[in-house]
Amino acid sequence: MKNIIYSNQYIRPFVAIALLLVWPHNADAYLDPGTGSYVIQLIIAGFLGGIFALKIFWKQINLFFIKIFSRNHSNEKSKNQ
Amino acid sequence: MKKAKINNKLPSSFRDPSGFLFYRNNLLYRQINIRYKDNYNLLMKSGLYDALIKDKLLIAHKEISEQKVENKNAYKIIKPELINFISYPYEWCFSQLKNAALTTLAIQKKSLEFGMSLKDASAYNIQFNKGKPLLIDTLSFEKYQEGKPWIAYKQFCEHFLVPLALMSYNHIQLNKLLQIYLDGIPLDLANSLLPAKAYCKLSLLSHIKFHSKSQKHFSDKKINMDKHKMSRLAIKGLIDNLETSIKNLKWQPSGTEWANYYKETNYSEVSMQNKKQIVGEFLEKIKPKNLWDLGANTGIFSQIASDKGIPTISFDIDPAVVEKNYLKCVKTDEKNILPLIIDITNPSPAIGWENQERLSLLERGPADAVLALALLHHLAISNNLPFDKIAYFFNKICNYLIIEFIPKDDSQIQKLLLNREGIFPNYTKQDFEHTFSKYFIIEKSFEIKDSKRSIYLMQKKNDNS
Repeated sequence: MKNIIYSNQYIRPFVAIALLLVWPHNADAYLDPGTGSYVIQLIIAGFLGGIFALKIFWKQINLFFIKIFSRNHSNEKSKNQ
Repeated sequence: MKKAKINNKLPSSFRDPSGFLFYRNNLLYRQINIRYKDNYNLLMKSGLYDALIKDKLLIAHKEISEQKVENKNAYKIIKPELINFISYPYEWCFSQLKNAALTTLAIQKKSLEFGMSLKDASAYNIQFNKGKPLLIDTLSFEKYQEGKPWIAYKQFCEHFLVPLALMSYNHIQLNKLLQIYLDGIPLDLANSLLPAKAYCKLSLLSHIKFHSKSQKHFSDKKINMDKHKMSRLAIKGLIDNLETSIKNLKWQPSGTEWANYYKETNYSEVSMQNKKQIVGEFLEKIKPKNLWDLGANTGIFSQIASDKGIPTISFDIDPAVVEKNYLKCVKTDEKNILPLIIDITNPSPAIGWENQERLSLLERGPADAVLALALLHHLAISNNLPFDKIAYFFNKICNYLIIEFIPKDDSQIQKLLLNREGIFPNYTKQDFEHTFSKYFIIEKSFEIKDSKRSIYLMQKKNDNS
């Protein structure tokens, strides 16, 4: 299983994408960010950015319905009073 | 303008060329170098500094305007708020490291809101102040450049995510690897230590396993990196995912040596109450500026000191009781107690460059007072230390000593002596008092009601004569 997942064949497309994505090193940076760390960060963050956008979108939808529900609820309450 | 020389630069403050810490007339200052001028001004003027101070995430400082240091690199001198006690990540329990990690991520999120980003994510930049973790390095911020990935991602993984994952999935004592690897636990080492089940979590699989593979793959490759950038949304997604990964890491303290100590000891309700009363009276009498509670367990006696407003460090060897103590402190919003994992028979050494980057425990002392309850027999019997060595050690680390003597016929000691009855002929109350009198003035002593144990209040003799 381990060999299938991490075989060169599997990892090669990621490396190819990574080579297109990487960002120049900041010459002023005192911390070495590490080339491999930069590459993997770009790949991971590419996916996570999309998920994060969906998460925010979902939260806003939730918030929208919560507001509507609470408004209806408070209207009903005031009518009953 | 008054000029002053930097007379005592901190040995640990050399990595970041943005500035450094130094002591002058026993006061701690930080020099900000000219090269950091723009970033410092942005931190102060963007509103980020005020926002972080409001959320208690960053150490507060004052700019020292009347004094200019004789140094051509200096832009400003600031005086940061003092932290009572500097502790290190290899002395923290699981939840302390976890909260320090979440604090770092909260700061990074806030920084992005104000157009800045953390340029490092070292666990050593976080300290516990009044019970809460906060960033102590004012120079950790840089202007966020649109499209630039998070430069401190690797450091965050190696300082926080990896040790927490190892503690959670392998062994709780593995945070001690941070003592060996000062720049964080290498990902390839973590990769070999983490069990397969850890990688059922996609976040650990990507931030540790794939990250490690990527490091290895690109270690000797030079790449032209100027095509694509990382969007702000992507960086927010990364931080959000790291936050979720850290929150999901758990450790349940149980089954360790001292976790159930108070349930298993032979203290009766009466003797426990009396012991608390004696300790309270002694503390009231000496009113120490600070206290080290050695072998503090879950911090029952530290609490007595804390209630009197005494800043207290609760040391214990057992990560489970330190975890329990810390979680209790968090729950009660405790401000005076800092629980730490320390083996007093092998306290944290001085480490790093020239053995001066991280201080030994003793270099961070002495304490005004030390509380050593139910500890002496462990040092003398379990660790074979003669009374003279123990008394000499306490004399070095405190001005006042509150110490409990437990006689040989106590059931707890009988357990320790089960197979070694004859080898401690000098473990007697008389010998204890005689030896400690060489290093301390015995001011008071009380026998604890309903027990054979005694507690002493001693004051340090300065000449050891």
